[in-house]
Amino acid sequence: MELFDAEILGIIGLTLRMTLLSTAISAIIGIPLGLWLDRANFAGKRLVVLINRTLMASPPVVVGLVVYLIFMRNGPLGFLRLLFTFEAMVIAQVLLITPIICGIVYVAAGRNAARIRMFAVTMGASKRQTRFLIIKELSNEIFFAVITGYGRAMSEVGAIMIVGGNIRYHTRTMTTTISLLRNRGEIEQAVVLGVVLMLIALTVQIIADFLRKRERRLDENF
Amino acid sequence: MRISNLQKNFDRFSLHIERLQLPRGEICGIIGANGCGKTTLMKLMAGILPPDTGQIDTEGLAPQDITMVLRKPYLMHDTVIRNLTYPLKLRGIKPDVELVEYYLELAGLQDDREIYAPGLSSGQQQKLALIRAMIFSPKLVLIDEAFSNLDMESTAAFEWLILERQRTETATYLICAHQLSHIQRLCGYVFFMHDGRIEAEGPTDEMLLRPKSQRLQKYLQYASLKEGAADGIPDS
Repeated sequence: MELFDAEILGIIGLTLRMTLLSTAISAIIGIPLGLWLDRANFAGKRLVVLINRTLMASPPVVVGLVVYLIFMRNGPLGFLRLLFTFEAMVIAQVLLITPIICGIVYVAAGRNAARIRMFAVTMGASKRQTRFLIIKELSNEIFFAVITGYGRAMSEVGAIMIVGGNIRYHTRTMTTTISLLRNRGEIEQAVVLGVVLMLIALTVQIIADFLRKRERRLDENF
Repeated sequence: MRISNLQKNFDRFSLHIERLQLPRGEICGIIGANGCGKTTLMKLMAGILPPDTGQIDTEGLAPQDITMVLRKPYLMHDTVIRNLTYPLKLRGIKPDVELVEYYLELAGLQDDREIYAPGLSSGQQQKLALIRAMIFSPKLVLIDEAFSNLDMESTAAFEWLILERQRTETATYLICAHQLSHIQRLCGYVFFMHDGRIEAEGPTDEMLLRPKSQRLQKYLQYASLKEGAADGIPDS
């Protein structure tokens, strides 16, 4: 395997597609869920929050194992034949990231949403306008939640190794490749790939920082 | 606005207003010690809190016609100008440039329009919240201690603005303030609250100069002493 040959570029492309797709799906589920959880009042809410917090810290290999058991040939969804596919890796990552995004959004909404809602009432905003305002006002926190989720997706190796199988040209990602190269003793290539992974993470953070420049303006006032 | 048998219960506090009528087009004041329920009553009137029981008859006013300026106002994570024009945007009204300039100047924020609003000083934030509540010409304005952080010049400017708007637009105001001088200068009618209830009400002069309720007399005594001390007037 040469550095930056077609195979490596394919691995980088697959990793980016997988992490972006799983983060997008998790954001679509996790953001409204976190906002709803803050607003909702039902018996067992504390238990749901506790379960979500536990899932936020769930070990990737355990999540990978659960997805494996569900999609294995004799598993409840084995007939879908998703095991060792790109889709299975995305499903595992969504299960890992969604609780993180939901949890961060829930905490942010708990701190600020009530005040924003109160303000919206005093301005005569409709329910739709209020919902839009809450999302807009919490956009920094929501953004942070998504970036954190993306970071988890990029760094994750245990779950996708189990459900993806690290199959060459098929389900091999940057983290699983690094793990493989280390096992083979090709440390130099593993390090280079690790640096590329770090550069991608840095690029994401620079983009995030640029988009969050509004927050910095707070310090410029006096 | 007319209220009857309004009740709101919390764990350690309950508000019960048997009857309250805000005279339309008047500037009314609401006074009382901390924790007597002034803010809760205002929040109920503004529709922020739902009542447990009782009636709040807005007498034809839509929720969009009522606004409240809170003691700690919420400013959006945006610029001064976007905060100021937000209620107009909600109503699909194109901001009148002259009006916007007038309000910015009144609040002393004409050079700060592109500043990040939550970064303003607390006094500037209160001024922005006050002009934001007035720019869309609501019919009922509830002001909860929103003058507390203003300097004397700004206080005078806003008192003038309220009197002017009430005269030209016949809006109704309910102002909660601990400084009796505000109440005396602005309000024609005053409510005195004690322990979640309206203890006394009447025209301002009658309430402040010839109070009948003993609790009100005591409250006025303390409030005058405090204000006198704050203004540098000797207590005796």
